[in-house]
Amino acid sequence: MVGIMNPVSREKLESLSSSVKFAIDLGSKLELCRQLKHDLLEEDAADLSEFLPRIFDLYSDPSGPVRKFATEIIGEIGVKHLEFVPELAPFLITVLEDATPAVARQSVACSIDLFRHTLEKIAIRGLYSSELDSDLESSWSWMLKLKEKIYSIAFQPGSGGIRLVALKFVEAVILLYTPNPNGSLEPPPNEGTSIEFNITWLRGGHPLLNVGDLSIEASQRLVLLLDQLRFPAVKSLTTSVIVVIINSLSAIAKKRPAYYGRILPVLLSLDPPSFVIKGVHVYGAHHALKNALLSCLKCTHPSAAPWRERILGALKEMKAGGLADLALNQVHKINGSVEEEKDDSLLIKEEKPLTKTYDAAGSNVGRKRSGTEGSSDLAEKDEVAGKRVKATPSASEESTKELNRNITVSQGDISSTQSSTRKVDVDTGPVQQLVGMFGALVAQGEKAVGSLGILISNISADLLAEVVMANMCNLPPTHPHTDTDDELLEDMCIVGSDTQAKYPPSFLADVISLSSTFPPIASMLNSQQSVPNKIVKTEGEEEVDVVADPNSALAYAGMAHEDENALLATDLPVSSNIVLPGMKIDPPTPSDIHDTGNLESGIPGLDSSFRNDGLSDTQAASSLVSTDIEDASQEQATSFGGKSPLHVLPSISIDRSEELSPKAAVTDSSSMVSSTATSVVSSCPFVLPKMSAPVVNLSEDQKDDVQKLAFVRIVEAYKQIAVAGGSQVRSSLLAYLGVELPSELELQKVLREHILSDYINHEGHELTLRVLYRLFGKAEDESDFLSCTTAASAYETFLLAVAETLRDSFPPSDKSLSKLLGEAPRLPKSVLNLLGCLCSPGISEKAEESQSGDRVTQGLSTVWSLILLRPPIRDVCLKIALQSAVHHLEEVRMKAIRLVANKLYPLQSIAQQIEEFAREMLLSVVNVDATERTGAEGLISESHKDSDLEKSSNEHQSMSSISKDISADVHQSDTSHSGSSPSVPEAQRCMSLYFALCTKKHSLFGQIFIIYGSASKEVKQAIHRHIPILVRTMGLSSDLLEIISDPPSGSENLLMQVLQTLTEGTVPSAELIFTIKKLFDSKLKDVEILVPVLPFLPGDEVLLLFPHLVNLPLDKFQAVLTRLLQGSAHSGPVLTPAEVLIAIHGIVPERDGIPLKKVTDACNACFEQRHIFTQQVLAKVLNQLVERIPLPLLFMRTVLQAIGAFPALVEFIMEILSRLVSKQIWQNPKLWVGFLKCALLTKPQSFSVLLQLPPPQLENALNRTAALKAPLVAHASQQNIRNSLPRSMLAVLGLAPDTQSSSQAQTSQAHTGDTSNSEKDAAVTEKSKESSSAS
Amino acid sequence: MKFRYAMVCSSNQNRSMEAHSLLKKQGFDVSSYGTGAHVKLPGPSLREPNVYEFGTPYKHMFDDLRRKDPELYKRNGILPMLKRNLSVKLAPQRWQDNAADGCFDIVFTFEEKVFDMVLEDLHNRDQVLLKSVLVINLEVKDNHEEAAIGARIALDLCEQIEAVESWEDSIDDIMVSFENKHRRKLLYSISFY
Repeated sequence: MVGIMNPVSREKLESLSSSVKFAIDLGSKLELCRQLKHDLLEEDAADLSEFLPRIFDLYSDPSGPVRKFATEIIGEIGVKHLEFVPELAPFLITVLEDATPAVARQSVACSIDLFRHTLEKIAIRGLYSSELDSDLESSWSWMLKLKEKIYSIAFQPGSGGIRLVALKFVEAVILLYTPNPNGSLEPPPNEGTSIEFNITWLRGGHPLLNVGDLSIEASQRLVLLLDQLRFPAVKSLTTSVIVVIINSLSAIAKKRPAYYGRILPVLLSLDPPSFVIKGVHVYGAHHALKNALLSCLKCTHPSAAPWRERILGALKEMKAGGLADLALNQVHKINGSVEEEKDDSLLIKEEKPLTKTYDAAGSNVGRKRSGTEGSSDLAEKDEVAGKRVKATPSASEESTKELNRNITVSQGDISSTQSSTRKVDVDTGPVQQLVGMFGALVAQGEKAVGSLGILISNISADLLAEVVMANMCNLPPTHPHTDTDDELLEDMCIVGSDTQAKYPPSFLADVISLSSTFPPIASMLNSQQSVPNKIVKTEGEEEVDVVADPNSALAYAGMAHEDENALLATDLPVSSNIVLPGMKIDPPTPSDIHDTGNLESGIPGLDSSFRNDGLSDTQAASSLVSTDIEDASQEQATSFGGKSPLHVLPSISIDRSEELSPKAAVTDSSSMVSSTATSVVSSCPFVLPKMSAPVVNLSEDQKDDVQKLAFVRIVEAYKQIAVAGGSQVRSSLLAYLGVELPSELELQKVLREHILSDYINHEGHELTLRVLYRLFGKAEDESDFLSCTTAASAYETFLLAVAETLRDSFPPSDKSLSKLLGEAPRLPKSVLNLLGCLCSPGISEKAEESQSGDRVTQGLSTVWSLILLRPPIRDVCLKIALQSAVHHLEEVRMKAIRLVANKLYPLQSIAQQIEEFAREMLLSVVNVDATERTGAEGLISESHKDSDLEKSSNEHQSMSSISKDISADVHQSDTSHSGSSPSVPEAQRCMSLYFALCTKKHSLFGQIFIIYGSASKEVKQAIHRHIPILVRTMGLSSDLLEIISDPPSGSENLLMQVLQTLTEGTVPSAELIFTIKKLFDSKLKDVEILVPVLPFLPGDEVLLLFPHLVNLPLDKFQAVLTRLLQGSAHSGPVLTPAEVLIAIHGIVPERDGIPLKKVTDACNACFEQRHIFTQQVLAKVLNQLVERIPLPLLFMRTVLQAIGAFPALVEFIMEILSRLVSKQIWQNPKLWVGFLKCALLTKPQSFSVLLQLPPPQLENALNRTAALKAPLVAHASQQNIRNSLPRSMLAVLGLAPDTQSSSQAQTSQAHTGDTSNSEKDAAVTEKSKESSSAS
Repeated sequence: MKFRYAMVCSSNQNRSMEAHSLLKKQGFDVSSYGTGAHVKLPGPSLREPNVYEFGTPYKHMFDDLRRKDPELYKRNGILPMLKRNLSVKLAPQRWQDNAADGCFDIVFTFEEKVFDMVLEDLHNRDQVLLKSVLVINLEVKDNHEEAAIGARIALDLCEQIEAVESWEDSIDDIMVSFENKHRRKLLYSISFY
């Protein structure tokens, strides 16, 4: 392919390179470069050489990325065509100084490749020919220059990011220059085959390269690298440099173990605290160092071996001990060096006899126990044994012996032993320390009882539970027997067969509760593992052994057989033996033992077990090995061994002894849980020593069943001993078991059933909380997704189940639910939904309707306490409460509103939210328009879909309840108001909360005024319904006054109602009156607003207002009238009826701008109330009015009405009329008409008045009212009257005909002048008559 | 975006995917991986996890779990998480098996164990390119909430790194300012391709 000059491609290259140069934006430049690189690498050397300058040219580009790319291209060309090195190397050296770090770094990166290839080529060339051509030599010298340059960068402080790569370059060169022990020792047979280069190839000599020199240089460079990390140079390095150097060094150490000895001292002396650079960045370097050490630890090269110890030490110091062990194990596996482990197993086997020995010795115990002599002795020996077990496994033989001896000693005070031996133990967490402490105290017997009590009472139940559980692994596989210790067995039955609950009556209660709780669990959990044996000295000299023996099957103590050993019972039954003080040690009673042995689980073969009471056979039984020999033996030796001489018993290790159940191979000695599981399985009866045991393999399901049965048993047992106290510890233990065991879900179900079966008496709350806290702790603690998610899920299930049951089975008044939710560590969504359902019962829950009221109260009070107690979920709880506060059922809503407004709203922190929600709801009723409507519907359909989905997934209650509720609500509102505005109930639903808030914060009330104007009729109605209560509750405050003083337009009706409410039944304050008056004067000219306060205004002010009042619609005026006349309870009437009438008459329609009709209506209104506007009143009024100048317009009308209403007034009216005559009433045409009407009406009484008229007026009158004429003439014709009349009068009356013509002329004059007016008047009069008669 | 990012956690489900998803939305060139042997998802109990091979499509897991117990897996957030994941990429990828994906500039891990595994893997590769890679460990607890927080923090850090010309020169400063800002401990190392 190569070599053929292709003009096309050349042209293409040229155009490419020039377009790179002239391309405008960076992206296209880089794209072109990529293309160019691709094409260039296809080219052959000859073409390239022509082309190189062009590429160098590219490097002059101002942009960094292009220069970087150019460098990259150069580098690749170089690698491909080493002959160009002399040209390229100078270029790369220049680039090293590039101002852009990335470009400079690229140069280093290219250099290493180039260097490696050049070196390889030269090396291999040299191998096959003794002469090297000068080209290569010059290439090499250029490469060396380049290398030196990069070295200088690597070791020059402060050269920034490029230094990292340069250091890496140094590493690479060191690796190249030194022989690779794992590499191929021989060079490839011919050039071109690619094997990893190894400098060893050049051992035979090379014209240019000297292996020795190269290696010297490499080691010099290494020294330089190492120096960087030495104090104080290291101080000046940045973390990144340190990290890179450490990584490089560890890589070198790993790949070139020869340098191990030089590198490690430096790494080990790197003091982590000393590289606190800038105070922060220790971790990176620290971690890098740790990893470097770990990887060094894994090195299997012999030269690494001596360093292992020190590395381990250093790692432990860095708290990476566990990792180190892991690494070490790997190494061991790799090396196949299992000797230690073998030792272990040996030890285990050899320990077996010790049990037996003990048994043998046991027979002597009775005698020997009398004294404590030798206890110190024992302590010493124990210590030794313990230590040996750990440090020198091979010494097991010896230790065994020692232990054996120990057995014969009574265990008096061995606490010292324990504490000292404890130290040997690697794992000393706080729990372990406590275990040790307990052991120590218990071992002291009576003396320590007090301190034991104090200790127990001072640590939390949870911690105590941890201690118990941690202690489980210390359970001996069998309890120690003496020939006489059968009573132990008797007591075992307590738990094992829950038939006889026999507890030690005395001994400190604490100890009892402790010991009585320990063994059962212990034995159930770890049938194989030992539990601490509490051996207590009784007053007598007998020992009280509190031993938990998982192998209840052993039941058969002290039988004729002398061999007691292989105690491999796997049964769950527990044998705990608490020897009561003063008890005699009786011969064994086998029957009991059998009882215990038989488990309900009924797993075949599990319950058979065997005892050999004899030394003879014990050795044979050595096949029993402890699973975790290390643990077991150490633990025993350390924490308990000292206590009871009998207890250093081997556990069974299934790993090692094939005869034992293979199952046990699964056993994880470190994890109690798993060991429990397996131990149950691994029971095998030992009938005879050396016999191989039948193994029962249980399936997972069976294991679960067994575990569950065990748990149920514990739970049941606890019920029986509830009276014994110490429930705290038991709760903790139950919780622990329920959570930690592998079949946790099953157990949690059992636990839940237990709790719920009698929440009160089983201390359900406490127990639930313990379980929850445990699960919660797990969920929070675990960093691993699996466990924390699982635990969180279990937590939720548990809490939800308990909460649901509490809700369903307890009366609403019960506080358990509230308490539980208040104290649970976390409330998941589903539980909150449950609460939401409680507070906002949905339609679906109609079944509970009868109770729902109380339930709502329960829910709300729970929400309230949650809001108070749990700030983090305050918002969510608040939402629940608020949702309930807009519930469609008024009962629910009112409860919630009471809570929100009275209890929650006063809380500063949430007031704002509540307000916003209420406002939103309030506005929602006003702003419902078409678009929002569709939006809401969309939402509904969505939530419906949701709920459907959830239903299908069996989730009825929890998840969707809120959304369902909401959607139901919205739905309702939708259907109920067909128009664009919500119905009244809907409006009330949304507004009630806001109103309630208004009573708490009056300024909120203003908002209602604002929305009022734009609200629909229904909404207004709803508002009006609320107002009286609301305003009454609020009373008059400055806020309210302020609102009143400036009501938004459109809110007048609302304002009126508010004012009415405010003035109802009380005297409005002066401020209120003032405000209203001011409002009337300034903004709102509507006199209506004054109406409510009218009774409280001074009469003269009212009179001033009167025209306005009259102008009101009639019905309102009537109301005003009533108010004015009744006045307030305190001040009495504002105006007398007479004053009112006079005021009405004082109105001049034209002047006051009030239609006459209004005035007449007002008059009529007065007349309607005859009981108020009585005859006397009218008389008084008329009397006054008649004196007015000018006469009121309606005067005559009123007179007429008065007569209509009270005919008895005629005489009085006549008087008025005559006064009118004297006032020349005819001069006022309107009144004149009225006068005449009145005269007509009151004839014949009015005749005398008529006759008082001057003749022209009389004539006028008669002309107008023809009906008068005849009667009047008749009247006047009476002699006595006629005589009194002047002639002119008679003429008018036609009684003196001569004068008639002249007077007629006059009359006609007057008539013409008045026609228009009089007609109008007539009409008015007519009407008023009608209305008055109508009433 | 000038750097290539990789987000790595143990199962390539929660933390790395949360960050992947977020960074992807922000336009970063990002991939994600897991370092575990399998992809383990929680099951009904601790003993019964759902185990899948790397490379099993998220969709497959989603369907599988939805079939098994939709309620449980919805409640514990697994289904929503898988749904998110399948919108980001096809299947979980194992870090160690995907060296062919090329060089990354920045690798984020969310757990020290993962950090170590990534570093070890990088060290075990032939470091010939001499292209530096920054490996940062941001300790994030493996649950949904923390993952979301972690992803946001990672994004913040990525943006800061993106803002400088070359991280090699300024990484220490970035770390200091980051730690001061978020009060979270960071661990970083530098390796080479």
